[in-house]
Amino acid sequence: MKDLARLRTPIKESVELALNQQIQMEMVSSSRYLAMAGWCDRNGFDYSAGFFYKQSEEEREHAMKFFHYLNDQGATSISPEIPPVQQEFDTLRSIYEGALEQEIAVTDSINRIVAICRRESDFVTEELLKWYIKEQMEEEYIARRCIELFGQIPADQIFELDKQLSEVSYDGNAFE
Amino acid sequence: MLVSDLPNSYQEVFKTSRGAVYQCDASNRLILAFWDTFTPMSSRDFAQFRRMVDTVDVRQMALSTDAADDVEILTPPRSERCYVLTLCEVIHLRELLGGAQAMLDLNSLLRECGCRLS
Ligand SMILES: [Fe+2]
Ligand SMILES: [Fe+2]
Repeated sequence: MKDLARLRTPIKESVELALNQQIQMEMVSSSRYLAMAGWCDRNGFDYSAGFFYKQSEEEREHAMKFFHYLNDQGATSISPEIPPVQQEFDTLRSIYEGALEQEIAVTDSINRIVAICRRESDFVTEELLKWYIKEQMEEEYIARRCIELFGQIPADQIFELDKQLSEVSYDGNAFE
Repeated sequence: MLVSDLPNSYQEVFKTSRGAVYQCDASNRLILAFWDTFTPMSSRDFAQFRRMVDTVDVRQMALSTDAADDVEILTPPRSERCYVLTLCEVIHLRELLGGAQAMLDLNSLLRECGCRLS
């Protein structure tokens, strides 16, 4: 008897399910960052607004990378439902802290999917996930560094702080 | 179609007292036989339909007194067929599709280790 599922796709159902959940998580991240960008924009933090608009687009790209991957591999990708996200925040600092928590949750989730791939011997998807692992290392670094800046730049220099926050980047990636 | 009239290319994957799932290697289709109906589906559509059946909220069907919750209407992807299912039928279908999936998984497993089911 032919193995019809394998003829159609190398992706196992458990991996397909996990990747579709990850697509949703990335799109929720994108939506959260957009809300953060909007809050920054209307509260006069122009640089941080720009930073989060860019983050929001990047998260969408992360989702799309998985979306195309699943389709190209003969699996089924699902356009996710996005629940309502928080629109109002207390302080600029709380936004950056929220961003770090978000990135940590994504890192954990990617790690869990790697474990699923290993269990299913899906080394192709694991290879794709390596890109995400590096990406998460950068994202966590940047979010941590931003929070550090709140302690280093006096609160009354809010314009300078906003500017410095948006300029944080990671150029010492050990993997590159 | 009577069971005795089944095409030779149909191989039984799994059978319950309520229905059966066959595989046709000639057309690369899985065929769901349920209520005297035969619905051929691609492997993708079969998986999709199984998920639809698995995600029916049977709790809601059991507890609700609303007439709309008495039946669940399911249409396999890209098919003309439409199943109007009672709670019991949803359970029967789940059993059938779940059993068929287990056999298909077993077939995959055997292929991976170089064995082959006829
Ligand atoms: Fe991401
Ligand atoms: Fe991110």
